[in-house]
Formats: sequence, C-alpha cells, structure tokens
Amino acid sequence: MSKPVPLVKLDEKEYIQPANQSCQGCTGASVARIVAKVLKDKMVRQEVACCGPAFGNLEQPSIYGEVFEGAGAMSTGLSRAFKRMEREDAIVTTIVGDGGTTDIGFQGLSGAAERNENVLWICYDNEAYMNTGGQRSSTTTKYAETTTTPVGEFSRGKKERRKNVAAMVALHRVPYMATASIAYPEDFIGKLEYAKNIKGFRFIQISAPCPTGWRFEPQYAVKIGKEMVLSGMWPLYEVIDGEKFRITYKPKELKPVKDVLKMQGRFRHITEDEIKEIQDDVASYWARLVAKDGKEFF
Amino acid sequence: MPQRFEVMVGNKAVAHMVRLARARFISAFPITPQTTIVQYIADMVANGEIDAEYVTTEGELTAQASAFTAGAAGVRAFTATAGPGLLYMHHPMIATRNNRVPVVMALMHRGIKGMDPDHSDMMAQRETGWMMLECESGQEILDTGLMAYKVAEDERVRLPCIFAGDGYILSYTDEPIDIPDEAKVDAFLPPYKTTIPLLPNQGAESRAFQMRQWSIGRDPQANFADDQQAMINAKKVIKEVNAEFKKLFGRSYGNGLVEEYKTRDVDAVIVAAGTIASTARVAVDRLQAEGKKVGLVKLKAFKPFPAEEFQRIGPKVKTMGIIDRNISIGSGGWTFGEIRNAMYDVEERPQTLQFHAGLNGKEVRVQDIMKIGEKTLKAASGAKVSPLVEWV
Repeated sequence: MSKPVPLVKLDEKEYIQPANQSCQGCTGASVARIVAKVLKDKMVRQEVACCGPAFGNLEQPSIYGEVFEGAGAMSTGLSRAFKRMEREDAIVTTIVGDGGTTDIGFQGLSGAAERNENVLWICYDNEAYMNTGGQRSSTTTKYAETTTTPVGEFSRGKKERRKNVAAMVALHRVPYMATASIAYPEDFIGKLEYAKNIKGFRFIQISAPCPTGWRFEPQYAVKIGKEMVLSGMWPLYEVIDGEKFRITYKPKELKPVKDVLKMQGRFRHITEDEIKEIQDDVASYWARLVAKDGKEFF
Repeated sequence: MPQRFEVMVGNKAVAHMVRLARARFISAFPITPQTTIVQYIADMVANGEIDAEYVTTEGELTAQASAFTAGAAGVRAFTATAGPGLLYMHHPMIATRNNRVPVVMALMHRGIKGMDPDHSDMMAQRETGWMMLECESGQEILDTGLMAYKVAEDERVRLPCIFAGDGYILSYTDEPIDIPDEAKVDAFLPPYKTTIPLLPNQGAESRAFQMRQWSIGRDPQANFADDQQAMINAKKVIKEVNAEFKKLFGRSYGNGLVEEYKTRDVDAVIVAAGTIASTARVAVDRLQAEGKKVGLVKLKAFKPFPAEEFQRIGPKVKTMGIIDRNISIGSGGWTFGEIRNAMYDVEERPQTLQFHAGLNGKEVRVQDIMKIGEKTLKAASGAKVSPLVEWV
C-alpha cells in the first residue's frame, strides 16, 4: 500500500519545458509536473489528443498518435516492445483526460487493464472535454453546466451522475488502482511511488479542477480540489490487486457539498433540492466506502 | 538448398510468413475470412515456432494502434484483418503513416456490403498512405509479405504496407506452398531497427522528432511532401526487392509493380488484379489460341500506383479493358481512374474501357473475362462499343 511522501522529497529538477500552453491555474499541468518528477528518466510517454500535449510538454521522450481513443492500444504496443527489447526499465506512462479514459478511450482502457499491460495510466479528471471548450463527459458531476449541457428553460445542466470508472478499473483486478487529488500532493506522490515500483496495469484517477471549465478564479483551483475531498465528493482511496481496499485520507466529518458547489460558476444555477440530491448521493457512497475500508473491495 | 513444400491455405501461408520474418510484435482481432491467421499464429506461438509478443486485442483499432507504437519503439510488428476490421483500423493507420512506422499488415479482402470478397475495404484506405500490394495465390501471399517488410523498412521508404489477397478464394483454399528456408530469409531480411527515438534518456531526440511531426519550424506541408517522396521511392525499391527475391528464392512477380502476361504483339490488354488476374490468364490463353491478340497486365501495386509502367505499356496497345473489383461511388474504379490519370501525359494513349467485376463476391468466370477481352479487342479494331462502363 502507498505511503504519503512529503513534498520536500520531490526531485528539485524541473522536467516541464518552457512555453507551457496551459490556461492559468491549470492543475493538469501540476499533475504532469509531479508525475515527471517522480518517474524522472524512467518515463516514456504515450500521448493522445487532450489538454495533455499542451500542458505536459515534458523533457521525457514521448510519442503522440492522433488516435484519441488509442491510449490503451498505443501504451500496450510500447510496453510489449520494451519487454521484448529487454528495456523494462522504461515506465510506459500515459497522461490522459477523462474523455480519453472514460469515454472515447474506454474500450482500450478496459482491454489494456484486462490484459494487465505493464502501463501506468494517469487520468487527470477535469470532468469535461476541456481541450475542445468544456463539453460534458461521463465524469461530469450531475447538474454541472457545460457547453453541451447548458442551463435553459428545458435544461438543468448535466442530467446524469458521474460514471464510476475508478471502481470499474479496480474490478478488472489490476495490480493497482487509486484515486488522488491535486490538492493532496503528498498522497498523490506516495501513490505514484508505489505504482512506479510494481509491474502490470496501474491506474490513478486524479481530480484536477479546471478554472476555465468549472468557472472559478485560477487561484482557487487547489482550494476547490481540497474542498471536494473534504466534502466526500472526491474520496481518496486505493485498491490493490482488485481486492485490498483502503481509504487513504479520511476526513473526520464531511463538510457539506454546498460550499464547494457554490464556489464554481458551473453550479451557479443549482437549487437547494438539487444540492440535496448530490449531498445524499455523496453521503451514501461515502458510507459504503467507509464500511469497506481496510476490507475486500468486492 | 532444402525447401519444404506443404499443402496449405492462404491464411496458413501468412502465418508462416510471420514466422519467417521474425515479427516480434503480433496483434490481431479475428474476423472472417482472416480468422484462421490469428489461430495459426496462436498455435505457432504456443508451440514455440514463433517467439513474439502476441496480443489478442479487444478490437481491430487496438490491434493496429498497438502495432504502430511497438514498431515505433523498436520491434518488427505485424497485424492482420479483413473488410470491416480494416475500416475500423483507418484512424490509427494514418497515425502509423504520419510517424513513418513500417508496420506490415495482411489483408484478406472482405466486401463492405456482405462477407464475400471485393476490394472495397482497401479502397476505403487509399488515402492512408500505406503501400498496398495485391496477391494472386497463397505462394504470392507468403512471398509478398516477406518483400513487404523489406520494402517498408528500407530507409528510402519507411512506410507501412498492406499485402492483400481475396478472402475465401485465397484465405481458405489449399495449394502447395514452397516455404522458404529460414536462413535464407534471415539473409534477405535483416533485423529490424526503429528510426524513432523513444528510449529513456532520448528525451532531446524525441522532442526534435515531435517538433518535426508537428511541423514546428518547418513548412506545414513538408511532412506530406516527404511522405509522397517516400511513396515515389517505393516504386524503385519494390522493383529492387522483387529482383533480389528472385535471385535468392527463384520466384518473382512481374517487376514487382505489374506483370505483363502474353502482351507481345497484342492489340489490346486486359488489366486485372488479385485472383481475377488468375482467371484472366486462362481467358487470355484461350483468346490467343483463337488468334485473338489480347494480353494481360496484372496490377500488383495499388499503392504506389505504377503510373510509369502504364505509360510504357499504354502506347503499345490500342485499347485497355480495365477490371476493377471495386468502385468509388460517384466516380468509378480505382485502377481505371489511376490509369487514365497516367495516360494524360502520353501522346499516343489507348482507349480505356471500364469493367466492374467481382464486387460483393460475385463470381468472375473465364467466359466473363473472355467477353471482356473480345469487347476490348473490338474497340481496338476501331469499332464503336458500348457501354464504356460495364457491370460484368
């Protein structure tokens, strides 16, 4: 199981290159920066269309395929080739958004997970297709306004609840599956360190609040990330071998979701009833997780 | 030199090719009529005849995209598909070409309106920038696969390549196949090397490669011009490799791009590709036995299209009867369009007649091609024929 790593232990070297094209306050860029510092010169990247190629211009070698749905496939090819070349010192890493992971890339994700490919998959989850201007994804929170779920006379924003891809990946019984938050870097680095030292399919879905898409001022990105964890909207946990389940950070008491929802422009239309619906959903899921903490995942 | 003859279906010949080429990454998803390729390879991997990473993927897109990156990283990669499976591969096929990774793919033609063979599947990939070589027999499939690797990996080319045969007619039909000697194949096909820097610590080289791919600091059209030049180079390289193959193994296929069959002193030629060319050989034999001066040009390379070969052959005849087992709805047959395009630069150009045959697996008989030959010859005599485009 993972152990939090203090930030001061992180490599001082910067792997992110000048002329970063991310928006102000982009937490995806912070994800890429941390991943690069942990994996250092072991990292070989496979990139697909998403904000990643823009915010993640890293020093490490990389191949880009203009195949949005292909992260699972292309990382499979890399890892098998390195195995054959006896270069398994290379850590095949893909940093993909929620679209390339949970929607268009879902088939390839499931295939790679089922085959237990030797791949580290980092999904930075900003809850919409941000690179194309903030259209809804299957991980968008219910009632969020996006550019394809606008609020209007006949619409209350996104109609559906989030797709629970973290649980689905864990059900493939992969060696490692974890959620993380950019607001809890020690927890994230600990999970990366754990993942780095094992083989097989490793998946970390990290909450990456997006100022542009969620409509808040850039300086609140980390605060909102933190409030999501403290409210139970984004639980931090890990599942080892699809079996051993552990909550890695357990707030003593959950804060109400209302506070963090109200910090984001995408929820400015939300009613008390709608907040209650989200609150009840969060509370019941959290209760189920707590009941399983330290036990078998399924 | 001991050589091994064995009676086998075309799909098994493909598996032997993969074994002999020492492909080290194999990915595929089964689809009729390619399916038994996947199974024969699985058997060979299971019994140790093939030593490779064999990935049974969850779909064709993953099969192609994983072959792309495996080839990029540094191992010889192979995949195989048919019909709709090829359509599903379209997206990563373009990424494979854009990155100039010499993946080789076996295609067992299957139509896109049913399960029977025609060339619609490959036609739908015309603009992917893959080389496309068509085969007439199981033996040609085995040999062309080996040549495909050699051509694709040539530094003047570095383009991916499809080698294709008509599904069922070749995939599931037995014929005696001469399996080349392993040591000879090793001499013919040296170990694979990638040109893409992707190893840990190759960050700087990798970034330079990426910048080039994104056309940063260069003409945005330059990558297209490079790929076009590589495809033009491929014409020469295919001929060279075909000649080298003949020296080593005693077999060749025309000049590698086209094969002329009984075209001396003819007034007209039939142009055909794949298994229709086999049938056309018999038709030409019978027509010439009756004193009718019709020959055959077998098209082997759809891409790169051998325009120069047709510019050389064209002025020698009065009429070309061009058979296409495909159609681009709204324009016409692939070969017909390409040949007419090539003929524009020729002063004494022949008349061209279009025949669509064998689409959706429709049987093409010797007598069908004899009729095509007779009509073409009639046009060559100066008589008016109609229609100029005919569904056989």
